[in-house]
Amino acid sequence: MWKNIYDWIDERVHLGDLVEFLGKKYVPVHSHSIWYYFGGVTLFLFIIQVVTGILLLMYYKGSEDLAYESIKFLMSKVQFGWLIRSIHSWAANLFVLAAMIHMFSVYFTKAYRKPREITWLTGMFMFFLALAFGFSGYLLPWNSLAFFATKVGTDIAGVVPIIGKPIMTFLRAGENVTGATLSRFFGLHVAVFPGIFTILLAIHLLLVQRQGMSEPMDREGMPADEKKTMPFFPNFLLRDLLFWLIVLNVLAVLAVMFPWELGEKADPFAPAFAGIKPEWYFMFMFQTLKYIPGHIWFVEGEVLGVLAFGLAGVLWTLVPFWDRKSSRGQKNRLITYVGLVAVIYIIILTILGYAS
Amino acid sequence: MRRIITGLAGLFVFVTISCGVASAFGDDQCLTCHEAIGDKNAALFRKDVHHQRGITCAGCHGGDSTKEEMELAMNKAAGYIGVPKGDQISERCSRCHSSMAIMTGEFKSPLSRNQSEQVSRSVHGDLSTAGGKRIIQCTTCHNSHGILNVKNPASPVNPRNIPTTCAKCHSSASFMKTYNPALPIDQLEKYRTSVHGRRNAGGDLKVAECASCHGSHEILPANDVRSKVYASNLPATCATCHSDAAYMRGYKLPSDQLEKFSGSVHGVALLKKGDKGAPSCNDCHGNHGAAPPGIESISKVCGTCHALNASLFAKSPHKQAFDRKRLPECETCHGHHEIFAAKDELLGVTGAAVCGWCHKQNPPNKGFTVAKTMRSLIDTLIAHEKQAQALIDDAEQKGMEVSEAKFRLREVRQSRLESRTMVHSFDLAQFEEVVDKGRKTATEISIEGQQSIDEFYFRRWGMGVSTLIITVLAVALYLTIRRIEKRQREEIK
Repeated sequence: MWKNIYDWIDERVHLGDLVEFLGKKYVPVHSHSIWYYFGGVTLFLFIIQVVTGILLLMYYKGSEDLAYESIKFLMSKVQFGWLIRSIHSWAANLFVLAAMIHMFSVYFTKAYRKPREITWLTGMFMFFLALAFGFSGYLLPWNSLAFFATKVGTDIAGVVPIIGKPIMTFLRAGENVTGATLSRFFGLHVAVFPGIFTILLAIHLLLVQRQGMSEPMDREGMPADEKKTMPFFPNFLLRDLLFWLIVLNVLAVLAVMFPWELGEKADPFAPAFAGIKPEWYFMFMFQTLKYIPGHIWFVEGEVLGVLAFGLAGVLWTLVPFWDRKSSRGQKNRLITYVGLVAVIYIIILTILGYAS
Repeated sequence: MRRIITGLAGLFVFVTISCGVASAFGDDQCLTCHEAIGDKNAALFRKDVHHQRGITCAGCHGGDSTKEEMELAMNKAAGYIGVPKGDQISERCSRCHSSMAIMTGEFKSPLSRNQSEQVSRSVHGDLSTAGGKRIIQCTTCHNSHGILNVKNPASPVNPRNIPTTCAKCHSSASFMKTYNPALPIDQLEKYRTSVHGRRNAGGDLKVAECASCHGSHEILPANDVRSKVYASNLPATCATCHSDAAYMRGYKLPSDQLEKFSGSVHGVALLKKGDKGAPSCNDCHGNHGAAPPGIESISKVCGTCHALNASLFAKSPHKQAFDRKRLPECETCHGHHEIFAAKDELLGVTGAAVCGWCHKQNPPNKGFTVAKTMRSLIDTLIAHEKQAQALIDDAEQKGMEVSEAKFRLREVRQSRLESRTMVHSFDLAQFEEVVDKGRKTATEISIEGQQSIDEFYFRRWGMGVSTLIITVLAVALYLTIRRIEKRQREEIK
């Protein structure tokens, strides 16, 4: 039966050409091959986000008066509504985690080096967008925790000199976090960010297909016949699918065993409660700002912290352009050490954030 | 004109001669002269407690009382101020009354020295409409020249005279509206109808008058939390006398009211929980017209707050029966000072239930059956409520969204409270209707709770099955990959 279906389609759209093209694509096999799969996993989680997000959109009402109630209705009255929301929330976190692992694997293997600078840049922009997705989506249920976290988060953006205040006002759609902020975040979360992300993703995937997988630097000088490879189709694609199934299983267990709670409805007039914490992927920055003294020389500590993180983000994004050695095929240990320090710093500060 | 000049000259000669004679008998030349000219204030001052302690006119008016000549006696250089006006009055009084050296050292007086300070902090210490620092001066209550000891029956601040002294201002509508138009002006009138007022008028100085409850110099508004008559302070204020068995001896009254009230549902609400809506002594007994409510008016008094209960009771068959037997309506079942929370145990014919006091099983009577049935109905409502609560708690503990059902549990509680009110109709049909409403809601909540618990297990099973299917698929895929790669290796060989 499968052959009949294949033949029927092949007769009309010439599937054979595509299969032949895919059959000629090869993926390098080496000790770091495992990291290749995290790009696919990130893509899979993004697809889950799109699908569950569309389902949530059918019930969600993006206004101050109705947002919380619509989510409550979805979770208590709509068949499997609780599951869709729980999957969306958990997949969002796994998506950021997978993107982070993918980014660090590319960084440590220096896969960003020439000629893949644009792939790296599009990947970094998508990573920042993933964080923006998380930040904007967090507010949408309009619960207390989200409300105050957004207030604190946008406050931090507001401390940047000169541009901080306009950015904060733009994000909040006013001076304070209100229903207008919710509408703005909703618009950004379901229309603006997905649109930009899709374009970047298309470029990213196109470049990956065009340039192929990057190989570790120590394989570059090897003769072609000594390099171990595997066909992209079906070998790599099926392995990718296997990873997706494992991730799906983990996601299902998390969504059911630890359903995402809704909490109390946001009350803008209530005092902020103690112990407000951001999502885990912002925790290291939040915790750092807590440790910085009130004033360093003549500059406010918080301003200095935000500017330092901004500068670090820019340098990280532009690494293909200042890491000239890697592009020339030379080993650059400094890059590896900087990356290791960053990873250790993020892990320790995140743990401290949750422990405090 | 000639007659006026002649008259003034005669008066001058008379005063000069009189002063000259009087100076031989005492130092207070002011008093001597002013008495000689028939000054009423001088006559009053002769009886004044200050005069008896040797204080001269100069004590308040300044000047030099030892001098016979008017120019010297009333010399401004010697501190003469004439008649003190406004705040000057109280300032003159406090020069001595706030001085330890004078009051304790010189006069060995037991009076407290902070009276002036207390008045300044009191409601009477507010700015006056005339621009003075205080509304009243010392002389407003104590008089000026005829100040007598408080124990003197003629003193305006003697317990017997205090009500009329206070009423000089407090019963004057025109005066009171300039300061507090909302304050009633019938306190004295009501007081005279009270047990306190009647006894006071009869000369019993032990009973409460204005100062007993409000204080004297330190009077504060009733809504000031420091006031002796503030709702939560009032029981202690009343108890100052009423809980003093020795003081109350002779009045044929118990002295355990505060003790009983403190443990009652009203006392706990007012004194422990700080609920200012809960009744204090005056809410049942009246304040200025304080008297125990009569048998016929008890339900009216209780009904001012418990309106629905009183209304249902008035229409019930118990009303006439209680009236016939001269039983106090609410008090018969609930008590008075010691009223406990009206729990469901009060209903029925066993244990702590009160119905059985009158409705005995033998001979068989309708009241006994109704009371027994009502109790059984409310017991089933409680059981339904407990079951619904347990299921919702269990579902919530399992992480299920049951906030709506949890909120509806309040409806069941409301039905239970309504049933407690409906008891006062003593009508089984009406009572059952309320209980049924609660039971129906509780049953619906129980079903919802059970469904949530079932849903929880369904989710767990669903997850188990899904995980199993995905795992099987993953294993199948892994085996497929291995098979394909084995075939590829064989093809290469």
